[in-house]
This record gives sequence, C-alpha cells and structure tokens, in this order.
Amino acid sequence: MKKKVISVLLCAAMATGILAGCAGTTAPAPEAAAPAAEEAAPAEEAAPAEEAAPAEEAAAEEAAPASDAAAGTFAIVTKSAGNPFMDRLASGFSEVIEAAGGTVVRQDPESATADAQITVIQSLISQGVNTIAISANDANALISVCNEARDAGIKVLTLDSDVDPSARAVFCNQAGVEAVGQQLIDAVYDLTGGEGQYAILSATSQATNQNAWIDAMKAIQEGDEKYSKIELVEVAYGDDEPQKSTDQTQALLQNYPDLKVICAPTTVGIAAAAKVLQDQKSSVKLTGLGLPSEMAEYIGDDDAHSCPYMFLWNPIDLGRLAGYASLALYDGTITGAVGDTFEAPTLEASPYTIVDNGAGTEIILGPPFKFDSSNIDEWKVVY
Amino acid sequence: MQNKSLLKKITGSREASLVIVLIVMLIVISIFSPSFLSPTNLGQIFRNNTLTMLMALGMLCVMLTAGIDISITSTLAFAGMSIGLLQKYDVIHNTFVLFVIGALIGLCCGLLNGIIIAKGKIAPIICTMGFMYVWRGMAYVISNNNWASGQDVSGFSDFGKDGSPGPYIILVIAYVIFFIVMKWTKFGRSIYAVGSNPEAASISGIKVDRVLVSVYTIMGLLAGLAGVLSVSIYASAQPNMQYGKEMDVIAACVIGGVSMSGGRGSVVGTFLGALIISIIAKALPLVGIDAIAQNLIKGVIIVFVVILNVITQRTMDRQNLLRREM
Amino acid sequence: MAGKSGRTISATPKGGMKEKILSLEGALIIAFIAINILGRVLSPNYNLTNVMRESPRYLAEIFMLFGMGFILVLGDIDISVGAIVCLSATMGCLSSNAGLPMGLAILVTLLTGLCCGMINGFIATRFTELPTMIVTLGTQIIFRGIAEVSLGSGGSASLKDYEGIGILRVKLGPIPLAFFLIIICAVVFIILLSRTTFGRRLYAIGSSKTAAKYAGVEVEKLRFICFSLIGFLAGVCGLFILASTYGANTTTGQGFEMEVIAMCVFGGIATTGGKGNLVGAFISALIIVCLRIALGQINMNTQLILVIIGIMLIVSVLVPSFRQKYLALKK
Repeated sequence: MKKKVISVLLCAAMATGILAGCAGTTAPAPEAAAPAAEEAAPAEEAAPAEEAAPAEEAAAEEAAPASDAAAGTFAIVTKSAGNPFMDRLASGFSEVIEAAGGTVVRQDPESATADAQITVIQSLISQGVNTIAISANDANALISVCNEARDAGIKVLTLDSDVDPSARAVFCNQAGVEAVGQQLIDAVYDLTGGEGQYAILSATSQATNQNAWIDAMKAIQEGDEKYSKIELVEVAYGDDEPQKSTDQTQALLQNYPDLKVICAPTTVGIAAAAKVLQDQKSSVKLTGLGLPSEMAEYIGDDDAHSCPYMFLWNPIDLGRLAGYASLALYDGTITGAVGDTFEAPTLEASPYTIVDNGAGTEIILGPPFKFDSSNIDEWKVVY
Repeated sequence: MQNKSLLKKITGSREASLVIVLIVMLIVISIFSPSFLSPTNLGQIFRNNTLTMLMALGMLCVMLTAGIDISITSTLAFAGMSIGLLQKYDVIHNTFVLFVIGALIGLCCGLLNGIIIAKGKIAPIICTMGFMYVWRGMAYVISNNNWASGQDVSGFSDFGKDGSPGPYIILVIAYVIFFIVMKWTKFGRSIYAVGSNPEAASISGIKVDRVLVSVYTIMGLLAGLAGVLSVSIYASAQPNMQYGKEMDVIAACVIGGVSMSGGRGSVVGTFLGALIISIIAKALPLVGIDAIAQNLIKGVIIVFVVILNVITQRTMDRQNLLRREM
Repeated sequence: MAGKSGRTISATPKGGMKEKILSLEGALIIAFIAINILGRVLSPNYNLTNVMRESPRYLAEIFMLFGMGFILVLGDIDISVGAIVCLSATMGCLSSNAGLPMGLAILVTLLTGLCCGMINGFIATRFTELPTMIVTLGTQIIFRGIAEVSLGSGGSASLKDYEGIGILRVKLGPIPLAFFLIIICAVVFIILLSRTTFGRRLYAIGSSKTAAKYAGVEVEKLRFICFSLIGFLAGVCGLFILASTYGANTTTGQGFEMEVIAMCVFGGIATTGGKGNLVGAFISALIIVCLRIALGQINMNTQLILVIIGIMLIVSVLVPSFRQKYLALKK
C-alpha cells in the first residue's frame, strides 16, 4: 500500500518534470522576443540567463546587422576559481565585451579539471550564449563538449591553453611556443654563463602548455651548437602546489650540487622555488614564467634575490584579445580561417591576423615580456 | 630475565615495529641517496611537513573517540586565506595577533563541528564532509580570485622561513603538551574512555558530549594554526591550499597505529606515522623515482605499512593469548 | 501487490521506522518537485532537453550510487570509486587505441572496475581489522597511480575510435541511453536491497556483524560481493564518462566518491550501517543533480554551489536527528 503511494508520487514527480520540459520546449517564442527588448536597455542589467536557447535563434541573430554586439552574450571559462592569473584574463575579456555593449558570462569551474569545465560549458550551451572562450585544462577531454557547442550554433575559441584544433575556431595564444622556448633557453644560457647544469620545475606532468614549452626548449637546445655546454639534468613536477614544489626544489638542490639555474615555467612553481632559494641563500639562480605581483619579493640583481629576471605576457591583454576575437567571430568578421584579420583598438599590435601554427589556427598576442629589477615595481601593482 | 622482557617489549609493541619500518626505510633511502640523513635534509623534512604532523595530533584525539574529521584542510584554507587577506589589505601585520586570529577561526570551525556531532548525534564523517565543502567554498569566496603572496606577507613569513626555528618550536611544544595531556591527565584518559566504550564512560561520570565537543574544537584549533603556519612557511595563501591532504593526515594516524574504531592509539605512534608519511614524500624525488610513478609507490607503501600493522597486532594478540595459557 | 514470499522477507526496518522512512521519501519527492519548479522559475533554459543534455556526467555518477548504498548499509565505505572510474576509463581508452575492437574495449573497462573492486574486497575481507575507509584510501592512491603511469607524461588520452563508442551516446528523443539504464538499475537494486534475502542480510551485517555471523550469514562473502559490485559499477561509470568525453585523464573522477556518498546520506542512508534504503538515495541523487544544473544555469559561483550542498547535507541529517529527539521528549 505504502509502496503504491510512493510510486504514485514518483510518477507525479516525473510527470511534473516532463511537463516542465514540454513547457520549456514550446515556450521559446515569447521568450525570444523578451531578450531583444531587454538587452536594448543597459547591458549590465540584462541577465545572461535571459538569452534564449535554440540554435536557430543564434543563427537568426547572426544574420542581423553586423557588430550589433549589444544583442550578444559572450562567455569565458577559466581553468579554475581562485587563480589571479585567470582572474586577470577574465577582467580583460569583460572589459572589451562590456565596452562593446555585450553581455559577459564568466564561469570559474569548481576545480582545475576537465570534468568541472565540461559541466560549466554544458550549462553555457543551455543558456544559448553566442561565443565561449575557454582556457582548457585538458586538450582532449573537451573535444566532445566543444563539438556539442558548435552544433548548437555557438562559436568556440580558446585562450591561454588550447584544445584539439578540430574542436575550436581559433586559439588566442599568449606567445608562440617557439618564442617562449627560445626566451627561456636564452635566459638559462645567460644565467649559467654559457655552461653548466640546469633543471626545470614544471607544473603537473600533463600540463599542456608547460610540456609544449619544455619540448620547445629541448628541441632548440639540440638544434643549436651554442647550447651544447648547458645540460638539462631533470624535469621535476611540483603539481602547482606550493608544498610539493618546495619539496621538489629542495630535492633538485640536494641531488645536483653543481646546479646553476632552475627554470620554472609556471606561476606557482616559480614562487615556491624563489622562496626556497632565497631562504637558503643559495647561489642557484631562477628564471621562468611568473606573475609580477607574486614574484616582486624575489626579483633583483644582487645575491639577496633569487630571481634576476623572468618573463610573462600581460594576462589582461590576452583576455582583451580573446574578447575582440569573440566579437569578431560573433559578427562574422573572422571565421577562424588563416589570414582573417580583425581590429583590437585597445591593444598596441592591432590589427591581428590569424596564422597557422602547424597544427591549427592561432592568434599570437606578442612576445613574452621581461620583468627585472628595473620594471617590477611598476608591474607588481598591475597583475 | 630482563633481556627477555626487553625482547618481548620490542616484538610486542606497535611503536617498536614502526621504528623498525622507519629504520629499514632510512637504510634503503640512504643507499640511493647518501645525503638523505644530513641535518639540513632532516630539518627540511620536519619543516615541510609541520602541517601534517601538527594536524595528526588533533586527528589522533578525534579518532580516539571513534570519530573522523575530513574538513581539516578546508578549515586550514579558510583560516590561512583569512589571515593572508588581512595582510594583503594591510589590516594587521603583527605576527602574534595573526596567529591568534587564525587559531580562533579554526577553533570556531571545530567548535561548530563538535556541537553538531555531539548534540545532533550525527556521524562525524557526514558532518565534516558538509563542512569540507562549506569552508573550502568560503575560502574561495573570500579570496575573490586573489592570492596573498610573498610581498603581502613579507614580515610575517620570516617566522616560517627556512632556518627559522618557529615551526619547530610550535611542533615540539604541541607534541610535548599532547604527550603529557594524553598520558597523565584526567582529560586525556577520558578521551580514551569515550572512544573505548561511550556507555561505560558516561556511567562512570564522564560527560561524553563535552569530551566530543572539545576534541573537535582542538582539531579545529590545530587546523587553524596549521593554516597560519602554511601561509608563513610557503609565503603564500591560496584558496586551494593543501587540497586533499586530509587523507595524508588520516593515513599518518592509521600508520601510527591509531584505531579508527576508537580507544587505541598514542602520541608516539602518531608521531612515527606522520614521520613515515613525511619521509616517503621527501624521499621519492630524492631516490630518483620517476615523477609519474611517485603516487603509485606512495600508495603501495601506505597499504603495505597498514597491512603490516594488522599482522603485528595479530601476532601481539596471539602472544598475549599464549602467555595467558601458560 | 507483494506476494506471499514478498511479505515474509518484507523490507527491513519495522513498525514506527517504516512510517518515518515513508515520510522521508515523501519529503524528498516534494523537494524534487520544488527544485524543478525553482529551476523553471530561476532559469528560462531549465527544460527537459537541456537538463538531459547537461546530465551525462551526473548520470554516470548515479550508477555508483546503488553500489555505494549497499556498501554503506553494510557499515563500510568506499572512497576509492573516483580512482576506479579514472583507471577503468583509462584502460578502456588505451585498449581501444591499441587496436582492440570497441566491444572488447568496453569489456576491458568494466573488468578493470570489477578487478579493482575485488582487490578492495579481498583486502577488506582478509584483514577485517582494517576499517574499509583506510583500505580504500590506500587503494585509491594506487589505482590513480596506475592510471597516471599508464597515461604517461601527457597525463591524458583521447579515444581514436569515437564512432564506436557512439552506441553509448544513443538518445531516445532528448533522453540518453544512460538514463534508461539507470532506471533499470534502480528497479533491480531497490528490489534486491529491500525485497530479497540478500538485501536483508546486508542490513543484518550493518546492524551487527557479530550477530549476523552467529545467525549463519556469510559476512565476509557478502562484503566481498558488495565491494566487487561497486567496483563494477564504477567501471560502468568510467565507461559512460569515456563515452561522454572521448577520453580519460589523471583527474577523471576526482571527487566523485564524496559526491556519491553525499547523495546516499542525503537520501537517508546512515554511514554507520543498517539504515536507509535506495529509494531515498535515488530520489535525492536526482534532487542534487537538478539543483546543480539549475544553479549552474543562473551562473552561480561554482564554489557557492558547493557551499550550499555542504549546508544542505548537514541540515538534512540534523533534521531527522532533532525530530527524533523531539518525539522522544513528547513521549
């Protein structure tokens, strides 16, 4: 008897759900009218969720007069919450979109995993946004969800960290892989004085960007006689955790007494390593890629500082570039094909052109920027 | 005669078997990496694992009452992030005050755990699982996507700097206090009593609820303290700090012979367990094991030691039985 | 409805308990309806099509719910399931890429899960002194470690033959295959736990292992079966994750164990064993999934969603506890 009551209730629940579903699928017509009216009003007022879902709707909007960004919703998906680098990316992105009158949806996945990113991208597809800019945690795992987004009429682009080129229109690259590799290996060459041992402290062993840069460094080193006297002794992985990075740095110092330079192409790793070296007053020097605000304490030319100089690109500019690229994809200025050009008024190197990097199409922001004792004070307050 | 009893003491005590495991490990590691036993390296082992060692003490108390607390690293992150931000926005820079604030935040989190578990009669794993999500989420929310980094905490991080005695002093004081309290005070004994048999403890006049609340409060306090120390040692506060490390702390206790069903475990055992975990973490990169395989090896060692513990316990029981029969 | 045999081995808890459980389920169903209405009000995109499209990851997770329900009723716990999902998806992906036909690769995925479960079961039953939390804590590191080693330095693998696995992505209208499978599993496992001798024995073990042993229940054998079962279901979860993401990486399945345990507890299964049933757990899983999808669609801060779930979890166990106290006072 009681079981019957339960099953009746369950059926009722299911029916409610399905009814809600039907209501949802039949309702779009009036809803579709709503956003247009609403978004004509100041953009920050328009809730992103008000954007109507179906793909036909997106297509219709595309046919509308170009550069009408005010009707568009542009999403950015970061690698994880609670990361200042990602925060700057998103702020640059928002700035550009909001200036153009569009609506920004920013999503930080709950953890730095592909799983968590898939969840938020799925949600963005439901919301029927017009473009999604993703900084991918895994190049492969996002392919299927990106294809799903494309099938729903959403333009997908990546920034900072790429997915498989087949799954997105274009990649906003902070700097060419070759260029980063070259800068880093030259820094190592310079700091070792042309000969000696160096080690690399990376993020996780599966970090796409870091692996690409390290491979580029190795390739450059092999291909050029100039670097024959510097020796890469180990690539250690600190998993972007301060504690593990500290352990790994200490292990490097202990295992290789003749070590001259550590190169850490990751923001967490470089800060942890800098602290270890500086605390121990070690003669080993550090370089790599780091956030100025995190590293200001450790940058300097004298022996009291562990890091003479390091590199990074401006994450805010990278966010801006992705913002402009999103707008251009939305109004049809670019399709993601090689040779397409678009304007990025607030960036110095505008206009940008899409190039082929061998595997897929990308837009390169510019060469990495060098931070040393002369300019660190100026930049540490910016990002 | 005395010799025999000494021998019996060694074969019959869990701590002794842990010491043997420890010695074997050290010998093996020293073969691969002769510099492992150098004073600096040993110092680093303690410094880098201060957090695990400190929190293991709290976990010991919690587990003695047959409980568990998986919210500790979230509490740690919340407390650490709070004091990191207090410095970032130039509110407070006094090291001592910051320590007090961090410890108080942890204490409040722990108190909440304790009250809900003791008064609400809720399984500790569930209650602390809820707070695991809550405090970690709060750490993210208050951080507002910022880290407190080297420069923000510059004066404060001197306390935990490599070479500064700060972390060691805290560790030693904590272990001495816990050793004395657990062994010789009424409160310490009542924790054991509650864990072995709550009904009996209650009948014999121990206020079980009060003991439960206090162990979780102590755990929270230590987690808060660990949060402050973490900011000081690594000179950075990030909302995801020590994510997932609560399992290391639990593993340290279990390796040290603390029973999850309550009532059994000691401060010395906990210390040895935490030391074994720390040495594993430190030694794996030193002995040249490929980075990719390090987790696998760590897991195998943990399972091995835990099973070894069971086998020792069994032989101990059997010996006791034999002795009784004689 | 329930036949003669059904009544003799009728569902576990007796008398007053039954009423309480009924009311719990009633409350859960009301909550489920409320969440759906709320979702509809909050987000115009909250409809069947979108919910089903966003659900594959959660659906995969729900497979493990049934196994976890069994394990919790036994008074055990398994925190290695997230790692098993990772390992089985990895093995499935790698074996398919190595040239195995898709059917065999699917089998490899499921068998990997089963083997992991059997390893857990073996250690848990061979060394009964060890709490299963510790056993699975250790094996969790090992399973994920094996996945890390097999994935190599890239840490991620993608399925080359994603046409083949398309069979698992089949949809009937908006509803994916996994959903139907889950309904079937739900019916089978709910009956298994509440209507069979097997299920009743699990409750007996959960209430008192010693008593069950004296009553002639093969405690360790049943525990072994349950651990193998949840391993297998984790393999199924891994399979559907593989099908929805076309690959596996070292973070696949991270945190699933806690989410699944939370779903069970939210549905009234006690971690101390011997209490609760799968009906509640199943409904509460649907509640959590709908809630997360609805809050996701209004772009709530993902960390805040976790805070809400954490608070819900604590409140959901506190309410019955205080109700009991209140009832006891009234008497």
